[in-house]
Amino acid sequence: MNALAAALSRRLPEGQVVEGFRAEQWAVCDRVPQAVVFPESESEVAEVMRLATQEGWTVVPAGKGTWLHGGQPPGAVDVVLSTMRMDRITLYEPGDLTVTAEGGIGLDLLAHRCGEHGQWLPLDPPGPRKGTLAATVSTASFGPLAYHHGLPKDHVLGVSLVTGDGRVLELGGRVVKNVAGFDVLKLTIGSWGTLGVLTSITTRLHPQPPADRTVLFRGEAGELVALARAIATAPAPLAALEMLLPGERERSGGTVPLLAVRILEASEATDEICRIVTDTAGASAFRQMDGRASAELFRNVEALESGAELVVRLRLLPSQLETVRKHADTLRELADPDEGWGTRLAAHVQCGVLRVIISRMARGEGWIDRAAEVIERVRGGLEAEGGSLTLSQGPSGLVSAVGAWGDAGSAVPLMKALKREFDPAGVLSPGRFSFL
Amino acid sequence: MSAALSSEVTADLRTIVGDQWVITDPVRLLAYESDGLTAYRRPPGAVVLPADTDEVSQVMARLAHAEVPVVPRGAGTGLSGGALAGSDAVILATPRMNRIVHVDPENRLALLQPGVINADLTEAARPHGLYYAPDPSSQSACTIGGNVAENAGGPHCLKYGVTSRYVTGLTVVLYDGEVLRLGGLGRDSAGYDLTGVFIGSEGCFGIATEIEVRLLPIPQATRTLLAMFDRLEDAGEAVSAIVARGLLPAALEIIDRETIQAVEASIFAAGYPVDVEAALVIEFDGIEAGLDFEAEEAEGCCWEKGAREVRRARSERERLGLWKGRKNAFGAFGRVAPDLLVQDATVPRTRLPEVLRAISEIGHRYGLRLANVFHAGDGNLHPNILFDRTDEDELARVEQASREIMAVCVAAGGTITGEHGVGLDKRGYMRLVHSRDVLEVMRATKKAFDPWGGMNPGKVLP
Repeated sequence: MNALAAALSRRLPEGQVVEGFRAEQWAVCDRVPQAVVFPESESEVAEVMRLATQEGWTVVPAGKGTWLHGGQPPGAVDVVLSTMRMDRITLYEPGDLTVTAEGGIGLDLLAHRCGEHGQWLPLDPPGPRKGTLAATVSTASFGPLAYHHGLPKDHVLGVSLVTGDGRVLELGGRVVKNVAGFDVLKLTIGSWGTLGVLTSITTRLHPQPPADRTVLFRGEAGELVALARAIATAPAPLAALEMLLPGERERSGGTVPLLAVRILEASEATDEICRIVTDTAGASAFRQMDGRASAELFRNVEALESGAELVVRLRLLPSQLETVRKHADTLRELADPDEGWGTRLAAHVQCGVLRVIISRMARGEGWIDRAAEVIERVRGGLEAEGGSLTLSQGPSGLVSAVGAWGDAGSAVPLMKALKREFDPAGVLSPGRFSFL
Repeated sequence: MSAALSSEVTADLRTIVGDQWVITDPVRLLAYESDGLTAYRRPPGAVVLPADTDEVSQVMARLAHAEVPVVPRGAGTGLSGGALAGSDAVILATPRMNRIVHVDPENRLALLQPGVINADLTEAARPHGLYYAPDPSSQSACTIGGNVAENAGGPHCLKYGVTSRYVTGLTVVLYDGEVLRLGGLGRDSAGYDLTGVFIGSEGCFGIATEIEVRLLPIPQATRTLLAMFDRLEDAGEAVSAIVARGLLPAALEIIDRETIQAVEASIFAAGYPVDVEAALVIEFDGIEAGLDFEAEEAEGCCWEKGAREVRRARSERERLGLWKGRKNAFGAFGRVAPDLLVQDATVPRTRLPEVLRAISEIGHRYGLRLANVFHAGDGNLHPNILFDRTDEDELARVEQASREIMAVCVAAGGTITGEHGVGLDKRGYMRLVHSRDVLEVMRATKKAFDPWGGMNPGKVLP
């Protein structure tokens, strides 16, 4: 056992530390940790963080390891701290429409338990459902439901956070309206494990919608963009509006470009909204899916990135969807034309987010430099128009070269000051935000 | 920080914003001696009224250079003393920054200056079939800048959420005059959610000079019910039953007997029976189809829990009539007692009945008149204490009772303020809810934005 793993083993109960080949599957963007720890309580997490700060070991918090390959590669990874053994629901009073769970609970388990009471947490980030609540909150990941139902920041009411030096902070609370002091909680949502380890999270819940319907339109990409924009401004509550353009090789296999309009309301209202949507579209729907089939379609949207080598998020205002699509088309040249599905495009139309999902990148001499050049050009174009380009995942050489994030603006010194407060020794996920 | 508001500084401010936009006349300063919490009064050293981001930046840089504290102020409707400044400080008020830069129906966004009045934004969005969702009771007077500072709520938060959900981007001026642009709907911002942490910072971090907000489509239809109960607990149980049935009303509001009597005895009389213990306002909105079903379900819950009477609005006029008692409650108290302390706390919804009993017991014990108006769906209580501030003994009892009420709410898993903020008023209660470490992190967060300590000093933190 290496010295670091041995030191951790002495502090933690047996079976909570692994190293060597068993640590390899916990590599963070190709960086294999010296040890992976699986604490079972908040106090054990705090113990690990105190030791790490004392010894200067870098720690990357994780859940089930679902998204470890995503984002900006950290500079160094001595320890991966997984909260996956902390997966209990600690307080659930259905009448309050709130639930408190340990950070390592999977979104699937949480959905199952809340579903027993007819309630749900409308979060649908990309990736498998087993992914943890803490990872979702920590990366502020969201999916098609976010525009209507809210972002992680709109659902989370409170967290317990263990800071870089092992302090336990209870931020926010468990009530739906709370303005008692500065909203420091918001800093932790989307902080990518740079401020602390989320050990417990309280979120709002909603009554499960009585009906689930998706209306599908088909057409060529340009037509679908126009249709999507028209439907997005229709006076009706739409749970999701997703434009799905299959990869070139899927296209030749018969998959068609689609616009998926999801409605999650009471059944009478659903019929009415459906009518508004088709009236606005001026075209009849290609297909309508109800209940399980509708849910299943959006499960597939969650899984779109699985197996991809490169995922790029482009964003502008929703009205600029056509411009974003043109920028996205520029990125198609990065895909290997002969392997996998090619380039998929998937847009959260109401948010102005377009994901470019490339199955396998074209190789060849200098491919990383070439790809970097193309991505930087597109990023420059989007930033000039007030938008952004982020790399959700990609080969770590490429992500390191381009940077997962774009321009962080003039608030960087302020962010650095915040980082120092939560993580004085700088041991938590260093380099995840390259500008800090 | 020195107390140095020299005539030299005010002369410079006049040069920046124009002579008529700096107030130093002691009589005119009296208009700024308190906010909506009138128990605290002190006039500021001066008031400055800049026109835009650039003027704010210059004003702030000048004041920072002279080490004069700045207190931002919107309409002054806040209820926690957050907009109070001493004679050594300058109030930076936003009434001139009241321009809606644009309403963008394509993206359902609006860009506005902070002095825009909440209701005016909704008015400007209406021709596009849109509206701004957060609707604090003071919406016809309060400004969006103030709403951002307080993370304001309102009766419709149950379904729609609070201000933070609707603010997508900010232009912020820090104490030294630096201008930061945060967030924006059309981009993924890199790094920490500074927009999020700025909202609700009560003027202690900086001042927002441009605000980007999301607008929603105006609901196609609404259904409003008013149910009368002979027991306050029954009204609370009806609320629980509605929630348990999986219904999500836009609003669930309760007013108690004391409040109803005050309203009915005032010019705001709304025709509520004066002998009931509680009135529950229930509102649904959304697509017309299916709303009647939801309203009937909710009505069923009320009968099941022992309602004496349930009224349903059949027109917009009737709807406003049902809301009248709730909306005018605060105005009506003026007739009943010289002073009113509007308390504010939140508890988990299921703990409402026991907390209400405890609050009532505290009122009895201190011999105080308490009237409850609250957002029952959110568990957000407003126990209002009616008193006479010239009676020193009564004033002392009000303070003791307030502290006990806060302690009861915190013990039930709640918090010391749901929507009014901490300001000056509730700093003393902050230790009831936050550990020393958390308060320290809040202090450090303030320091990251305002290392000079010049923004609204003496507020929020104990």
